[in-house]
Amino acid sequence: MSTRRIEAGELELGGGLEVLLAAALEGIPAGGRLEVITPSRSTALELPSWARGVGHEAVSERPVPGGSFAVEIERGPFDRVLAEALRGGRPGPPLRDGAFHTADLRALADVLPEADAAAGFTPLGATAERGAPAFRWTLNQRDALWADDVAELTEQASAAQWDASRDIPWEAARGLPDFIERAVSQVMTFIAQNEYAALYVPAGFLADVNPAYPEMLMWLASHVHDEARHVEVFTKRSLIGGQPSYALASTELSLHTLLDERDFSGAALLLNVLGEGTFLDLLRFVEHHAPDAATRAAAALAHRDEVRHVHFGISHVRRHIATDPDQTAALIGAAERRATKLTETSGLSPLLTEGLTVMAAGSLQPAELARGATEVRELMQTMEDNRIKRLRAAGFDGRDAQHLSDLHTPNLM
Amino acid sequence: MSRAQADVRVGAVAYHPRIVTIWEKFLEHFEREGVCTDYILYSNYERLVEAVLAGDVEVGWNTNTAFVALEQLLGSEARILGMRDIDAQFATLIVTRRGEAFGEVGELAGKRLALGSRDSGHAAILPLHYLGEQGLEAASECELVRFDTDLGKHGDTGDSELRVIRAVAEGAADAGALGEPTLAAFRGDRVPAVSGLEVAWRSPTYYHCNFTALPSLDDALAQRWEAALMAMSYDDDRMRQAMDLEGVKRWLPGDRAGYGSLAAAMREA
Repeated sequence: MSTRRIEAGELELGGGLEVLLAAALEGIPAGGRLEVITPSRSTALELPSWARGVGHEAVSERPVPGGSFAVEIERGPFDRVLAEALRGGRPGPPLRDGAFHTADLRALADVLPEADAAAGFTPLGATAERGAPAFRWTLNQRDALWADDVAELTEQASAAQWDASRDIPWEAARGLPDFIERAVSQVMTFIAQNEYAALYVPAGFLADVNPAYPEMLMWLASHVHDEARHVEVFTKRSLIGGQPSYALASTELSLHTLLDERDFSGAALLLNVLGEGTFLDLLRFVEHHAPDAATRAAAALAHRDEVRHVHFGISHVRRHIATDPDQTAALIGAAERRATKLTETSGLSPLLTEGLTVMAAGSLQPAELARGATEVRELMQTMEDNRIKRLRAAGFDGRDAQHLSDLHTPNLM
Repeated sequence: MSRAQADVRVGAVAYHPRIVTIWEKFLEHFEREGVCTDYILYSNYERLVEAVLAGDVEVGWNTNTAFVALEQLLGSEARILGMRDIDAQFATLIVTRRGEAFGEVGELAGKRLALGSRDSGHAAILPLHYLGEQGLEAASECELVRFDTDLGKHGDTGDSELRVIRAVAEGAADAGALGEPTLAAFRGDRVPAVSGLEVAWRSPTYYHCNFTALPSLDDALAQRWEAALMAMSYDDDRMRQAMDLEGVKRWLPGDRAGYGSLAAAMREA
């Protein structure tokens, strides 16, 4: 077997020589030899123990003309990493106008239908070394998680971030009449309560998702982050005017049952399609009737995020049902189970209905209040109509869609 | 079988918390190999040697110093069941500040020579012995700067050798002795003090640690245990981390060829 030779020059062990040696030895098979020429007697004396320490063997040491030293190292039998050898270079994924889109991650690696529940944090395209501790992920099936446009939605989420401290014209919310401010504060607190639930539900699944599905992790993390900002912005809006409000027990009861759903697709239906879907109409209403620019901006920005969340839910449920039609019954079952737990809830809390009515009326004058009440009634109808449209888009037939819409909590989320 | 009824109890010195990690993993390996083994930790090698001699453990994971002491107390040859690959080719280095390396050991006369713990074969006993063989009675001809830290651990912790290289780097000594693998580890860890040092001298090679048993250990059991040890593979992903912690890539059968110098040095002392 021929011996390769490298010149160490002024490099010493601990000062970069080991990097040069590792690179040179990588290309040599076990039993092959590398001759290291160094002008340093000290380095020549240290090379044998370095070699042994990394599994090789110094087989000869000799002075060479010119005052240098040659140390011949035989490569040992051990691989540095307990894994199959890395394959040679390959073209990287495509770029779109210089941007690396998340969807193009999959130019390198397919979405595994089933991921190893014990696998570790192995980024796409990387080879896992054996001997890592075993994890116990519980969400390991692509079809139980996936939405075909999850990468695109993740991309949009990154691009649509906003700042609840600075992007809202907070000054505009000051100085409203007390009765208006109290109504707004109550509606904002109600929305913030719901945003908490919308944060905890995806967060509860996030840490169970197998790392082989990074888009799902990115998506759920963005979802959680969005909701954290929604909690922030609606809490801030409730506080800014100085009027107190209630966190209502009936709202809590409804949201509590949402967190009980431990099936990912069931939760996607209940939270994303039905709950956040219904909230799209509520946020539009708030935006339209907001008495100030701060409330309007908060509702508009949150609405933009919720559109993504609802889109994910519809896309996921549609794919889930299409992949396995038996899942339709299971999903309806999730909604029915929740509804049976909500028999104590009779309808939307009067405090919320009143708050929305005052916001829509903008006044306590009877004529204005009557108009406000009409607007709220129309909102409820719009919510129902749109819920059914979304359920149809998610793949349910007309009868099931009506049934699911009827089962939906009167508490909106 | 429960570990409490293990066929082989191995005594080891707890010079670092990682010893527990290492032996818990090693026991899993011995169990897979069908030789039920347990470990018992001691705080120093003197206790471990006593335990082997008293039959409290069947096998002691000894430093070379502990092995030689055990044979001296035993008055006859002990049985060696194996050693690490690095134990078979150990050497001591003497380092100086860069540009101050000596050519012949005689040039160290009158200089300050830093040594590690006095019970360390590689950092104190053997450098004095080999320098003597090459004509330098360092104990009388040099000013010895001793760092007797962690006595009883026979230099395993590396603490005294860290003090040796710092002493040389800071000018409190002109030269210092330490084990080859220790310097390699300091270089690998980018320990600042070693960057300005060079190796001036390397000792002949000698053996370091081994698994020691009394001659009375049942032959068949000894062979089974040694075979199980030899079967431990660095390519086994369950064992690689523990083997890295123990500093071994391959276990070698034990033999006596590399302990003569230390035995002579300890007799002289």
